[in-house]
Amino acid sequence: MNRATIAILVAVVLLPFVVRPVIAAEIWLFAIFGLGLNLLLGYTGLLSFGQGTFFGSAAYVAGWLLKHYAINVFFALGIGIGVGALSALLVGYLCVQRSGLYFIMLTFALNQLFFFIAYQWTSVTGGEDGMPGVPRPALLGIDFKDPLAYYIFVAALFLISLWIMKRIVESPLGRILQAIRENEVRAEAVGYNVARFKLLAFVIGGAFSGLAGVLYAMLFGIVPLEAIGFVSSGNVVFATLIGGSGSLYGPIIGSFVFIWLSESMSVVWERWPLLLGVAFVIVVLFFRGGVVEAWSRFWLWQSSRQKA
Amino acid sequence: MGNLKRRNLLKLGAATAALGFPAIIRAQPKEVVVLGIWPQTGAFSDVGPILDRGMRMALEERDMKIQGRPVKYVVRDSGTQAGAATRRVEEAVDGEGAKFVIGPWSSGVALAVSEVAKRKKVFHYFSGGTEDISGSRCHRYSFQWAASPYTAAKTVVDNFMKANPKARRWHLLVADYAFGWSVEKYIKEVGKTHGLEFVGADRHPLGEREFSNYVQKAAANRPDAVAMINFGLDAVSGAREIFNFGLTPKVPLIMTWSSGVEELVQLTPEIRENIWVGSNFYYTADTPVAKKFVASYQQKFGNPPGYAPSAAYGMTRMMLHAFDKAKSVEVRDVITALEGIEVNDLVGRMRVDPKTHQTLRPYFFMRCKPKSAMKHATDFADIIATGDTPLPAEYAACKDLGGF
Amino acid sequence: MLYALMGLGLSLITGVLNIPNFAHGALFAIGAYLLVTTVGFIGNFWLALLVAPLGVALVGLLIEYLGIRRLYAAGHDYQLLFTFGLALILSEGIIVIWGPVGFSHLPPAILRGGVDLGFTFYPKYRLFVMGAAGLLILATWLFLEKTRYGAIMRAGIENKEMVSLLGIDIHKLFTAAFALGAYLAGIAGALTAPIRGINPNMGVDMLGIAFVVVALGGLGNLLGAIAAGLLIGIAQAVVAAYWTEASTAVIFAVMALVLLIRPQGLFGIR
Repeated sequence: MNRATIAILVAVVLLPFVVRPVIAAEIWLFAIFGLGLNLLLGYTGLLSFGQGTFFGSAAYVAGWLLKHYAINVFFALGIGIGVGALSALLVGYLCVQRSGLYFIMLTFALNQLFFFIAYQWTSVTGGEDGMPGVPRPALLGIDFKDPLAYYIFVAALFLISLWIMKRIVESPLGRILQAIRENEVRAEAVGYNVARFKLLAFVIGGAFSGLAGVLYAMLFGIVPLEAIGFVSSGNVVFATLIGGSGSLYGPIIGSFVFIWLSESMSVVWERWPLLLGVAFVIVVLFFRGGVVEAWSRFWLWQSSRQKA
Repeated sequence: MGNLKRRNLLKLGAATAALGFPAIIRAQPKEVVVLGIWPQTGAFSDVGPILDRGMRMALEERDMKIQGRPVKYVVRDSGTQAGAATRRVEEAVDGEGAKFVIGPWSSGVALAVSEVAKRKKVFHYFSGGTEDISGSRCHRYSFQWAASPYTAAKTVVDNFMKANPKARRWHLLVADYAFGWSVEKYIKEVGKTHGLEFVGADRHPLGEREFSNYVQKAAANRPDAVAMINFGLDAVSGAREIFNFGLTPKVPLIMTWSSGVEELVQLTPEIRENIWVGSNFYYTADTPVAKKFVASYQQKFGNPPGYAPSAAYGMTRMMLHAFDKAKSVEVRDVITALEGIEVNDLVGRMRVDPKTHQTLRPYFFMRCKPKSAMKHATDFADIIATGDTPLPAEYAACKDLGGF
Repeated sequence: MLYALMGLGLSLITGVLNIPNFAHGALFAIGAYLLVTTVGFIGNFWLALLVAPLGVALVGLLIEYLGIRRLYAAGHDYQLLFTFGLALILSEGIIVIWGPVGFSHLPPAILRGGVDLGFTFYPKYRLFVMGAAGLLILATWLFLEKTRYGAIMRAGIENKEMVSLLGIDIHKLFTAAFALGAYLAGIAGALTAPIRGINPNMGVDMLGIAFVVVALGGLGNLLGAIAAGLLIGIAQAVVAAYWTEASTAVIFAVMALVLLIRPQGLFGIR
């Protein structure tokens, strides 16, 4: 087991004692969301600005079924992953035909459309009010209403997701995606069907996003409108970039930083989004690899000082 | 990538933990922790600070003590988002030990917060447009301070018609969400008794900024009066556009559910001419409590309080009355004491209906003054009537509050 | 008309610098706030209308010089993050300076009231804005088409390498383009202030629409942006007559459609 894994396991165990289990759970599920996005952003070089579509759709569908049909937890998770993947298939199919700024704008525009549908379809989604009353059914006799129990559940799912994502990026698929990121034309020339691989990345990313969405709905007992909107899509992109999109662990760090910032800062100063903006600017200008890069640069500097 | 990064991550992990997340400040067992969940960022960020003021003033009147115990007043940002608000209320309840929640400001977020209150079994008081808190989503832990949309509609329509008996053709401009629809429904109901003809009713999405199309449609119907059922910036934008297109001051504009000062201050005297305003509070209200509050607020902050700070102040005061009556700081005792309480407070005679948790109290109806009649910069309007007809039983959607 | 102005400014920036400028909405808002403040200082609306956008252009210049300049090679995600962070800083900064409460600003006395057009009563100030915006667009277009500097900018959209090979300082070009784009946003904001009022979030909606205009018109296609802006304004009015709630959402649907079917925009050629 490498050091990073140890660090993460330590964090998983210690976190609920440092912050409320609810916040801790949110950090891990947001990290799952980020992992999904980063497959597209960091590994394939596709900036999808509409991940909220998959996150939110999964949350709504699973939330609806949980609320009205009292499905069990496994089924809910399955639905979440499925809806996430399916919506990603649809959106991805439309989007992979474009690239660059067009691609970004298209993911954004489609996200807005889904947002509009959720906003209008008040009988199902509750529109602006959101969909409250999402239950957290017990699993195998374990009562998930206990925040710690649910936390363990979310953290376990996170670890599994991380392991799966690690296998994906280290596999030939992962390498192909990175090749596409580096030079799409060459990848095509070598014989890979670039569009199809991009679509695959979308679907996997969507599945992860969907899982995160269901966990979110069950965590807060509500599916708010912003889950499917720009807030959601934007937050996950910014968090991942801040953590560092160049690393597998970037989204995890980003999730920590982002949720910690927005929670602790909001208590201190109402104008904290300004600090968030400053953080973005600093990251872009100086630490493009995000926190991960900042940390390794700091470490390099430290070790070079020791040598001298 | 490679070994360097992996090794560093271990250290990063440790450092992150050491950085420490917000410390868990456990309330002293004797303290009473009250939470104000106010919008400090997002669409309603202008209201957050003044809501805080109102609540704080009410608590400070008691020297931050309830039943001899110190009060810890905690504020959190609802962000005008249901998800963020839910998260922060839970964090305050779990982390700070908050047992009494007042807020938020927007109806949608309120429903989410109400759910948390029910789940966490904490006291919750809200002032806002949604009927559901004392209606279809009612439960034992949430209370509604603002007048029922029915009371508002009746006060507005009855008194407007008294002053303008010939204005029978009305055009409605409604914000497209549950609150807007309920007020629209009641205006039409009450309107029937006055023989009103609704020549048009348009719905606009929340946050609409481009009102020109709606105004032109309204103008085309040649109404005798335009009634807007919306709030905050939407109302301000709508009123401004209605003036720009020349509807007012010829045709009266009714702002059915207004913040009063907070909205009117964003307009100019020219725009305000011939605007009639219905509101849950106006600062010239003639009650001893209101007079004292307004004087104190004005002295501290320079301008008169509108609906927002008065609602926060009013709710906190009602809660304090309940504490007094219950002689206890337990959530259940306070709730039971609040149910059926009758006091003369901020807006006059106020009573909490034990069956629906709706606060029955007067609703204000004002007429804006033309520039020449304004005695000072904030002399926007005169109160011409109040009304407190409660929601008739046949409309009541709250069938059973349930237990604890 | 205003949509066309915003779209033109954004199209210029995205075309020349190839950067998604998420701060464009904030620049719009600053234009409005600066107008009101300037009128407060000097008391003359017309003068303020000239001066305020220059302030915004200055802000744009600083942004480009201090920040964006370093990001040309950085890739869209970082440029996006940067401009978005900037947007946050600017809009929260507005609240810090001017407070969170919005306000109204009446148009200058001559332009108050309206004109009876027979079928409808139309505010004089809106007519003025249409005219002013139209003139501005014409002036910008003439600048871009007929002057040497304009030609350089257009060439910069087409082919940056060629332009720098021809010995023209590409950095100055970018700074100028950004400043001009910012100016257009600023004056759009200043013109809008009496119509829509001034509040800290006013830039947010405009930003979305600006991007849609750019997408419809074709990235970098300036004439296209103008045409698209007009089209969207008309479309919004038409849809509002039938399905009012959808009028804003329809815009995004159209954007998605165009991007899918004809990514070079309705009027693009490349």
